[in-house]
Amino acid sequence: MKHQRMWIVGLAAAAFATVQAADFVDTNQSRATPEAQGGIVDGKQKRYAGPPFGGVPNDWSEWPGYRDDKPYPAPQQATLPADLKGDADNGRKLYMSRAKAPCTGCHLIRGDDVWPAGNVSTDHQQIGDRYATPEAEAVLYQYIYDSRVINPQSFMPPWGTVGILSPQEIVDIIAFLKTQRGPLPEEKDPARNPNTRPLPENYFGDNLDPTNNAAVVLAEGAIDTWTRQGPKGKSCADCHGEIEKMQGIAAQYPKYFPLYRRVMSMEDLVAWHGADETGLELPSQGAENIHLALLIRMQSNGMPVAVDIESPEAKAAYERGKALYYQRVGQRNHACADCHDADRGGGKFLGGRLLGKKTDGMTRHFPTLRTNFAQIWDMRKRMQWCMTPLGMNYLPADAVEYAEIELYLTSFDNGKPISAPGMRH
Amino acid sequence: MATGQVRIRVPDGVKAGDVVTVRVLVTHPMEVLRMEGGKPVEKNYNFIHRMAATYNGKTVFEAETTQAVSQNPFFSFPVKVTEPGKLQIQFEDTEGRSYTGETDIKF
Amino acid sequence: MNTPIESRARRRALKTLAATGMALGGLSLGLLTPAQVLAAAPGMPLPDEAVADTLVRLFGDRKPQPAGEHIKLDAPLIAENGSVVPIRIESDLPMAADNYVKHVYIISDKNRRPLNAKFTLTPESGRLSMATNVRMAGTTDVRVIAEMSDGTLWEAKQEVKVTVGGCGG
Repeated sequence: MKHQRMWIVGLAAAAFATVQAADFVDTNQSRATPEAQGGIVDGKQKRYAGPPFGGVPNDWSEWPGYRDDKPYPAPQQATLPADLKGDADNGRKLYMSRAKAPCTGCHLIRGDDVWPAGNVSTDHQQIGDRYATPEAEAVLYQYIYDSRVINPQSFMPPWGTVGILSPQEIVDIIAFLKTQRGPLPEEKDPARNPNTRPLPENYFGDNLDPTNNAAVVLAEGAIDTWTRQGPKGKSCADCHGEIEKMQGIAAQYPKYFPLYRRVMSMEDLVAWHGADETGLELPSQGAENIHLALLIRMQSNGMPVAVDIESPEAKAAYERGKALYYQRVGQRNHACADCHDADRGGGKFLGGRLLGKKTDGMTRHFPTLRTNFAQIWDMRKRMQWCMTPLGMNYLPADAVEYAEIELYLTSFDNGKPISAPGMRH
Repeated sequence: MATGQVRIRVPDGVKAGDVVTVRVLVTHPMEVLRMEGGKPVEKNYNFIHRMAATYNGKTVFEAETTQAVSQNPFFSFPVKVTEPGKLQIQFEDTEGRSYTGETDIKF
Repeated sequence: MNTPIESRARRRALKTLAATGMALGGLSLGLLTPAQVLAAAPGMPLPDEAVADTLVRLFGDRKPQPAGEHIKLDAPLIAENGSVVPIRIESDLPMAADNYVKHVYIISDKNRRPLNAKFTLTPESGRLSMATNVRMAGTTDVRVIAEMSDGTLWEAKQEVKVTVGGCGG
């Protein structure tokens, strides 16, 4: 909510600035590519067409995000419907259904076909022993329907309250969970069980070798952008010189800029400062923007991250970023912290993926090659994709909220060496 | 992604008679087969299907590749060098375009 | 100078033209289906193939023998996605003028079309040591088969588990 106010102040200041000589640049209007802005078209968010965004049918306009104060449903009491009979087989299907959650993202059940299960939360392989009585079943029903009634600290989405699971579906899942009882069968494959699964190895090799990481090759091509004169008769190189002169610069980003009255990442700066000075169009999430930001960042490879979180403006932005990181949003009522704090999901398996831990630093390899999509993702596209498991429409790639979350996250990388572009699955 | 850029890397300090490990990458989407209604969509998919390396004009390594080679194909392969010369590596995709890179190996 | 690909591409282009011409001729007589005409293009999808059929197609009735220590296959035990699975091969098999590894095949059993790639080496390769990145449709055995110049086949095999779902990155 603090953010909301800042936004309004920003708008008022922007209006004032049009009358006075502008001493700062209004960044409220996004300069991302149209799909990276994620505007609403025909009542639905217009997202990136390509994978993985293109495969998500949902629109979450009605659910709370970082920029609004849409209400989230209050915790709801739920009574196990006496007339419903559970179908354990269907319950197992629902439990594993990717469209529904899947429950196996966070919980482990029995079965060689359960691959890959996560361990963000409780192991359910013997839950049937713990919830054997009818009273316990009623508790289980309430817990799945809306866990907040029992445990206000719970970060499991209230599946019933938000309508992801119907009463019948919950009853089916309970019927299935009751089958998870007795001694554990012998584990045939230690990798099936997230508690004994080996941690993923870095099998991609040297991420800075251009014969290994195509992102290096593509970023090197951005030297053309660096040296190209725009309509204003200037190139980046005309003011900044050789690209090598950028050594150490990117280590300070995200950074607060008085001219823009906000924190900016290198990608933001290319989209605003770079475009304003040269007249080139370098929108956030455009290939030229990401390749150039990456090329600039590569000049700082091996150097320690050194973002400012001490100056008053940076400190304020850091605090707002931290608050956003812990703010529950979306249909699932999740916060960034649910997946990335060590006392929640951080360092554990979400399905087959090992979740990054905030305190390890999660930003030094960005922009990074996403090998599974053959795309280069900067932090912003990563954050935009993180909105999907939250059940929230994404903000524009250059949103100040993302910049401030990025500053908060990058502060945990301070002192650790930059190595971009990374290579990730 | 800019298609068809070739990067070659050979080690420094090569001596006559060494077996050199050559690394090469070509940027290419290696278009993936699309399925519709359980059947492959019939079209000419664009992927690298051939690669050949010559050293001083003599073929030293060849590959026949399918869509089951990753995007931005990467290969490393050995060449025994007895004299300095030019290593040339050429890729061809299924739309008939070819992409070439070359490097000198010096002693 | 014609590089091998240029000359071969030209030969194939000629062959493809010839094949298309013949196919079109055939079509006018109603002897060939349009699918056969299209199959002349190199990027057209080929039919699904079981790995047993791939092995027969490539090697006939020759059976590969386990390579044991002779081929070291290095692939991840768990790959977080099947799009880029690095495969590294080191081998002490001979690379002499009269006895050498002529071809190396990478085969992912469970892929729709199991053959990932086929490589051709020469005695001048000096030593079998190579790597590439392949795609896997899911958890599968991956085999590397080395075909010697005399037709002998050596095989190394490993399972790669491919995790899917979740988000991560």
